[in-house]
Amino acid sequence: MIRELKFLLSLWKTNLAAAMEYRATFITQSLGMILNDGVYFLVWVIFFDRFKDVRGWELADMFIVFGIAASAFGLVGMLFGNAFNLSEIITGGRLDYYLSLPRPTLLHALASRVVPSGFGDFLYGFISYAASGQFTWDGLARFVLAVLLAAAVFTAFLIIVQSLTFWMGTGGTFTMLAINAMLTFALYPITLFNQAARVVLFLVVPAAFMGAVPAGFVKAFSWSTLGLMTLAAAGFLAAAILLFHLGLRRYESGSAIQTEV
Amino acid sequence: MPAIEVTSLSKTFRTKRKAAGLGASLRSLVRPEFRTIEAVRGLSFEMEPGELLGFIGPNGAGKSTTIKILTGILFPSGGEAKVLGYVPWKQRRQLAYHIGTVFGQRPQLWYHLPAIDTLTLFGKIYELDDRQTKRRIAELAEAFEIEDLLETPVRKLSLGQRMRCEVAASLLHKPKLLLLDEPSIGLDVVAKQHIRDAIRTMAAQENVGVLLTSHDAGDLEALCKRVIIINHGQIVYQDKVSALKRSFLTSKLVEVRYAQQVGADFRIAGTETLKVAKERYGVKLRFDARITPVGKVMAALSAAGTLVDITISDPPLEEVIAAIYQKAENRE
Amino acid sequence: MKKYFAVFNINLVNSLAYPAELVTRSLMILLFMWIFYQLWRVTFAASGSDVLNGLTLRDTMWYLLLAETLELGRPRLARVISQQVKDGSIAYLLNKPYDFLLYQLSSGLGESLPRMGMLFLLGGALTWVMAGPPPDLVNWPVALVALVGAWLLHFCFNALIGLAAFVSEEVAPYEWIYQKFTFVLGGMLIPLDFYPAWLQTVSKSLPFAYMMYGPARLFVQPDPALFAQIILGQFVWLSVLGGLLLLAYSRGLRRLAINGG
Repeated sequence: MIRELKFLLSLWKTNLAAAMEYRATFITQSLGMILNDGVYFLVWVIFFDRFKDVRGWELADMFIVFGIAASAFGLVGMLFGNAFNLSEIITGGRLDYYLSLPRPTLLHALASRVVPSGFGDFLYGFISYAASGQFTWDGLARFVLAVLLAAAVFTAFLIIVQSLTFWMGTGGTFTMLAINAMLTFALYPITLFNQAARVVLFLVVPAAFMGAVPAGFVKAFSWSTLGLMTLAAAGFLAAAILLFHLGLRRYESGSAIQTEV
Repeated sequence: MPAIEVTSLSKTFRTKRKAAGLGASLRSLVRPEFRTIEAVRGLSFEMEPGELLGFIGPNGAGKSTTIKILTGILFPSGGEAKVLGYVPWKQRRQLAYHIGTVFGQRPQLWYHLPAIDTLTLFGKIYELDDRQTKRRIAELAEAFEIEDLLETPVRKLSLGQRMRCEVAASLLHKPKLLLLDEPSIGLDVVAKQHIRDAIRTMAAQENVGVLLTSHDAGDLEALCKRVIIINHGQIVYQDKVSALKRSFLTSKLVEVRYAQQVGADFRIAGTETLKVAKERYGVKLRFDARITPVGKVMAALSAAGTLVDITISDPPLEEVIAAIYQKAENRE
Repeated sequence: MKKYFAVFNINLVNSLAYPAELVTRSLMILLFMWIFYQLWRVTFAASGSDVLNGLTLRDTMWYLLLAETLELGRPRLARVISQQVKDGSIAYLLNKPYDFLLYQLSSGLGESLPRMGMLFLLGGALTWVMAGPPPDLVNWPVALVALVGAWLLHFCFNALIGLAAFVSEEVAPYEWIYQKFTFVLGGMLIPLDFYPAWLQTVSKSLPFAYMMYGPARLFVQPDPALFAQIILGQFVWLSVLGGLLLLAYSRGLRRLAINGG
C-alpha cells in the first residue's frame, strides 16, 4: 500500500514536470477553463433571475452543485487524466505497456496523464462555492471532502463505462455519451426528476453523487449523507476494479479488438 | 530555365527553450527564454528540368523546411527561390498545378475510404475531366502495381502499399516536378525497393524532375543522379552521385578465394589485409585506389595463387556521408 | 466550383462510412432534449401560464431542438484546423490548387450536413412525442435561410480560431469560450425572450444572437420583422467576420510554422 502510494506520488511528480514543459498550454488552458466555466454558469444566473426557483431549487444550490461537479471533474483530470481515454487505450492495444510493468495496471494507466485544463476546473469549483453566498469555513472542509468522494464516484463510473470496451470492441463515442450524461444530470436540479429517474441517477449513471448529494452535505453536515457518499464511492470503485479485471481477461492486445473508427 | 533556382534562402524559427527538471521548469514559467533556430542558412542551388536530385542530411538539417518553402507552404525569412518559374510563396496556387508532393510521415489519402476516392477527388481538384482521370488512374495503377488495392479502404493497407498509393496520387496531374520528403521512411527493404523502382520508371517515362529528401543513402543511390548534402541548414557538399563515390569512395574492398590454402600471414604490397579465413582459402583486403592502382593489386593477387573467385566493392554510401558530416563538423 | 463540390462530396461519403457511429454520436441530442423538457415542463407548470414571453412549452422545445442541432452538428473546424497545423497535414492542404478557406468551407459542410440531419431526425422524433408536433411547414424555409446564415457565422468564428493555430500553440480555450458565448449570448439553452431586456439588447448588438437565436426563433414564429432583423444582422456580421477572416488568413500564412521542419 505504502509502496503504491510512493509510486503514485512519483508518477504525479513526473506528470507535473511534464505539464510544466508545456507551461504555456497549462496556463492558457487553466485560465481559459476558469473563464469558460464562469461564462457557462451565467446561463443559470439568467435562468434563476427570470424564474427564481425550480421546485425549491435555487441559484445558491446551483452554485454549490456546479462547484462540486467542476472541482471533481478537474481533480480526476489532474490525478487520473487517462480515466477519460481508457477506451482508446484498450482498443489501441496500449495497455500492453502498463501490463508489462510490475505495477498495478489500472492505477498506473489512469495516473499517467494530466488533463491540462483540469486545474482550471478544480479551481473554479472553489470560486463557485465561495460565490454561492453560503460560504463558511467548516462548509469549505465539507466541500473538500465532498469533492474527493464525488471524484471517486466519477472515476469509478468512467472505468465501468470504458471497461465495457473489452466486450464491445469500440467505445469512444459511447464514453463521450456517458460523460455527457453524467455531467448533465449532475448539473441540473435534482428536483426535476421523478422517482424512477432518481433510481437511475443513484444507481446507473450515479450523477446524484456528483451533484445533489454532496451539495446537500456541503450545506449541512449529516452522518447519513456522509455514510451514503462513502458507501457509494467504495461500492462503485469496487465494481469498477472488478469489471476492469474481468475485462482484462478478454484483452487481446489490440490484435483482435480492431477499432473501426 | 532551371526547374528550381534558389539563392541565399534562409528560414528562422523562434521556439521556447525548455529547461530540464521540475525546479527549472517552474522558474522558466515566470521567465521563459526564447531561442531562434536557423533551420535554413543561405542555401543556394539549381535543379534542371527532369533532373533527379537528392537532398540528404541528418534529422533537423533543414531538408523538410526547404521543401516546404519550395512548395509555398512556408514563407522564407530571406533569399529568393523560383520553382518552375513561380515564386512559391507568392504564386502557391498556380505552382500547385505543376508539382506533386509526398510527405512520407503524413498521409494524404483519406484513411477510412478506398484510395480510388482520394484519386478521384484529386482529379477534380486539379481540374482533369473524368475520362482523363480514369485513364490516368489506370496508368498509375499499373506502374505502381496497385490495381488490386484501389478499392480497399486505406486503413487496411500495409505501410508499403499505402506509400505506393500516396506516390501514385501525387503523380495524378502529371506534375513536372515531384517533391518527395522522406518517401521511404519506415518501410522495410522490399517495400523500399518497390517504391524506388516505380518512381524511377515514372520519372524516366514522363521526364518528371524529382527532388527527394531522405536520410537513407539507399534512396539516393537507387534514384538520384546528383546529390546535395546539407547539415545545419547549409550545403556541405554537392556533386554527381558518381563523383561523390569517386572522390570519397577511394578505398576498395577486395574479397578473393584461392584454389589452394594461403599462408596465415598473407600480404600484398600496397594493401591492408583485413582477414584471412580460418581454413585459409579466402582473404579480405582493403586498399586506396589512388595510391595503389586496381590493376596492380589484381596482378599481385593472381600471382599469389590460382584464383577461384574475386569481388571488388565500394564501402556503403552511408559511411561516405558520415565522413562528409564529420568533416563539416570539424570545420566549424 | 466543381472541385469544391468534390471536396464536399468526399466529406459527405466519409461521414456516412460508419452509419452506426453517426447514430451513436447523435444519441446525445436525446439526452439533452429529454432534460430540457423536464426543466421547461416544470418551469411552465410552476408559472401557471401556458405562454411565457410569447412562447409556449412546445415552441420552447422546438426552438431548443433547432439550436441544439446546430450546436452539435456544426463542424468542429477550429479543432480540425489546429490539428492539421499540429500534425503537419496542413502541408498537403496548402499545396493543392484551391482556396484554403473555400476548401475548409466545403469540407465542413460535407461533414456537418449528415450530422445535422441525423440530430434533427432523432431529436425531432423525441420532441414530437414529448412536446407535440413541429411548427408549421411554412416556417421551415424561413428558418432554413436563417440557418444558413447562422452556419456561416459559426464557420467564420471557427476558421478564425483555427487560423490562430498558425501563430499560437494553444487554441482550445478560445474555442471553449466562443462556444460558451454562443450558449449564453446566443440563447442556446434559454431562448433570448426570457432574458432581461438590457441583455437582449446586448446580445442582439453582438453576432451571437444571429448564430443561435435567429434561426431557432424563426422556426417557431416566423415573424417578418424579426426575419428582416435577423437577416440584416447576419449580413452585417458575415461581412465583418468574413473580412476579418480573409485578412487573418493572408497575415497568418506568413507566420505559419510547421512541425517537423
